[in-house]
Amino acid sequence: MKGVPATASGRYRRIKTGLACLLLGWFFLVPFLRWDRGPDLPGQAILFDLPGRRLFLFGWEFWPQDLPIAVGLLVGAASLLFYATALAGRVWCGFACPQTVWTDLFFAVDRFCEHRRIPPVLVKIAIALLTGFGFACWFTDAPTLAGRLLGGSAAPGSYGAVLIIGGLTWLLGVYAKQRVCLHMCPWPRFQAALLDRDSQVVTYQAWRGESRGRKRIPLREDLGGEPGGTRGDCIDCTRCVAVCPTLIDIRDGLQMGCIGCGLCVDACDTVMDKIGRPKGLIRFDSETNANAKSWTKTLPRPFAAKPMLFLSVAVLALGAALFAMLTLSPLRADLDPQRNPLFVRLSDGGIRNDFLLHIQARQPGLSTLRLRLAEGEAGLLRLASSGDHIGAETVDVTLDQRELRERLLITRPAGADAKGRSPLHLLVQDARDGRLLGTVETQFWGPES
Amino acid sequence: MAQRERDALTGRLTTGHEWDGIKELSTPIPTWWITTFLISIMVALIYLWLMPSFATTKSLEPGLLGWSSRGELREEQAIAAAAQAPWRQRLMAVPLEEVSKDEELRRFVQAGGRALFNENCAPCHGVGGGGQQGQFPALLDDDWLWGGKPADIIQTVRHGIRNTDEESRQSAMPVFGDSLSKEQIANVADYVLTLADKSKADSRAALPGAALFKDNCAGCHGENGEGGRDFGAPRLNDAIWLYGGSRDAIIHQITSPRMGSMPSFASRLNEESLRMLALYVHGLGGGE
Ligand code: SF4
Ligand code: SF4
Repeated sequence: MKGVPATASGRYRRIKTGLACLLLGWFFLVPFLRWDRGPDLPGQAILFDLPGRRLFLFGWEFWPQDLPIAVGLLVGAASLLFYATALAGRVWCGFACPQTVWTDLFFAVDRFCEHRRIPPVLVKIAIALLTGFGFACWFTDAPTLAGRLLGGSAAPGSYGAVLIIGGLTWLLGVYAKQRVCLHMCPWPRFQAALLDRDSQVVTYQAWRGESRGRKRIPLREDLGGEPGGTRGDCIDCTRCVAVCPTLIDIRDGLQMGCIGCGLCVDACDTVMDKIGRPKGLIRFDSETNANAKSWTKTLPRPFAAKPMLFLSVAVLALGAALFAMLTLSPLRADLDPQRNPLFVRLSDGGIRNDFLLHIQARQPGLSTLRLRLAEGEAGLLRLASSGDHIGAETVDVTLDQRELRERLLITRPAGADAKGRSPLHLLVQDARDGRLLGTVETQFWGPES
Repeated sequence: MAQRERDALTGRLTTGHEWDGIKELSTPIPTWWITTFLISIMVALIYLWLMPSFATTKSLEPGLLGWSSRGELREEQAIAAAAQAPWRQRLMAVPLEEVSKDEELRRFVQAGGRALFNENCAPCHGVGGGGQQGQFPALLDDDWLWGGKPADIIQTVRHGIRNTDEESRQSAMPVFGDSLSKEQIANVADYVLTLADKSKADSRAALPGAALFKDNCAGCHGENGEGGRDFGAPRLNDAIWLYGGSRDAIIHQITSPRMGSMPSFASRLNEESLRMLALYVHGLGGGE
């Protein structure tokens, strides 16, 4: 079929198929994992809750201000990618990139439908829409999404996601295919900088392949053929070109168009098997080794300086992110000085500052919190909504839907030093066991003289 | 007469103009441009017909749709009022003191009260209610001239202070500069300065100003300077001094007193709004 590469079979084809199943399964099924968080919170294990501006990840809940963790994870993931590339070449492109996985899937559809009188275009549209649906599942309650979409009650964003991601899947996987890798994707340009002569790339061992020719031309003597033979191991069957998803000829040497998928390796090994010649005319190998005309391939060198550099960055970034995740504060508390006026003078000579207290709890179980000032800081606390006029050393507040927004009034009694600006620390404790959950630092303002 | 002909080289028509043997190719405006232009003119005409576009001697000719920005505002206001109506009814259905027990109602009152406060009170008393030293009292503190209960606040806001409203709060401090000598006034001021100091409770009776204070001031401000709310007479034994707490400031105030006034809001605010406003002010931090 025009534009559809031929099938290859062998080691790399098996790895690719297995990995594709794993990745597609991950993409489509993970949103359906459940995680019990109690009655008021969504029960989906991984959920990007965009309207609620939060991300649920099993026992974790992330808020926009936790963004540094995402930065750590992304830097870590990028460094791992660099590590894998410096070590083993374009493994990302050839095996794990969504563009590769989905393009491969659509090629499989083409081959499957070819002799079965099923119009491939229908299957492809279905897969594209399913991909859009699978994407939308990460952002809303997955098990009920299909019903809501069909019943017309899903959020407009869900419909948009299905159509836009579905359309993009079609555009990139069915229409653009290898053109994405050749012309659109920035990653190959990065890779060129990461690879060196010792990186694993797909190589055609020209020293034993050339000069290529028909099978009936006698083999070169140094390869074990007859004296006077001129042909190398390559019988010019062009199987390696036929199976290539980016439609290139690897025998022209390493080139930008090669995504390192290894299918030509499989195809060529099959041929070598048939004509009774050693495998590995095309193989994953370093360029240095290919030039050294060696029959044995080199293996990746995990401890070389460059891969180790990337690995250490990855370990650092991921370690920092993990540390931040494990020490995530159970709540967020803000104390906004109202500053209008800066302070209030009371009739007994005390000085009062008014604050807007905003508390959001991350832990589902928290309900009553105790507020107090740090040791050595004089002041009485009271909520503006309470009837109490004097205030107390500690104030208990109750969260409503894990949140509290109240005016908190802090008074330094007459006699306590309240001149000018002084630091103030509000401690937030769990009222049940007095455990310290957070400290808010702010300023207390008093008269200049 | 200009002759339109086809240019042999490019195959395009010429405009027919010729200057010294040089002919100009015809490059007409593109059709899409002309079409867009004509459509725009039509849209403009339709717009003129539908929307208010022409002034008559009295007002605007309203246009076929009869749209006006004022009408749109009125509609939006009606929608907002309708949405608020059940809340306002709920507010009027409970006694004033009970309102803050209903959490939902309290939030409605706080939100509405803040809007009313910013519109009506903030120009003098400040957006945060901090007042202005020497001019307008702070509403956040625990010192009230005319009472700090919600009902007191409603009364003060509705009728105002020292204005032409018959029911407004009225009082006047005499101009003691006319009846007392400078020395006497200074003595009274010295006496007043001791009122907030508990340690001088016994010794102050011996001051020369003591008798003068009793005769002239205690009637409104109270024996011990505890203030008199019936007359809006401020407390003198606390730390809050609207017109300044220094000796000079007190002498000045006794000699030729300043007294604030406040407009009546009866014509601007209805009963629900007064309630919301009063409860908001009451909740600022000093309500009684
Ligand atoms: S070139 Fe880009 S799109 Fe193509 S396989 Fe590599 S990363 Fe994926
Ligand atoms: S040349 Fe070989 S390894 Fe490279 S993309 Fe084509 S089939 Fe894959």
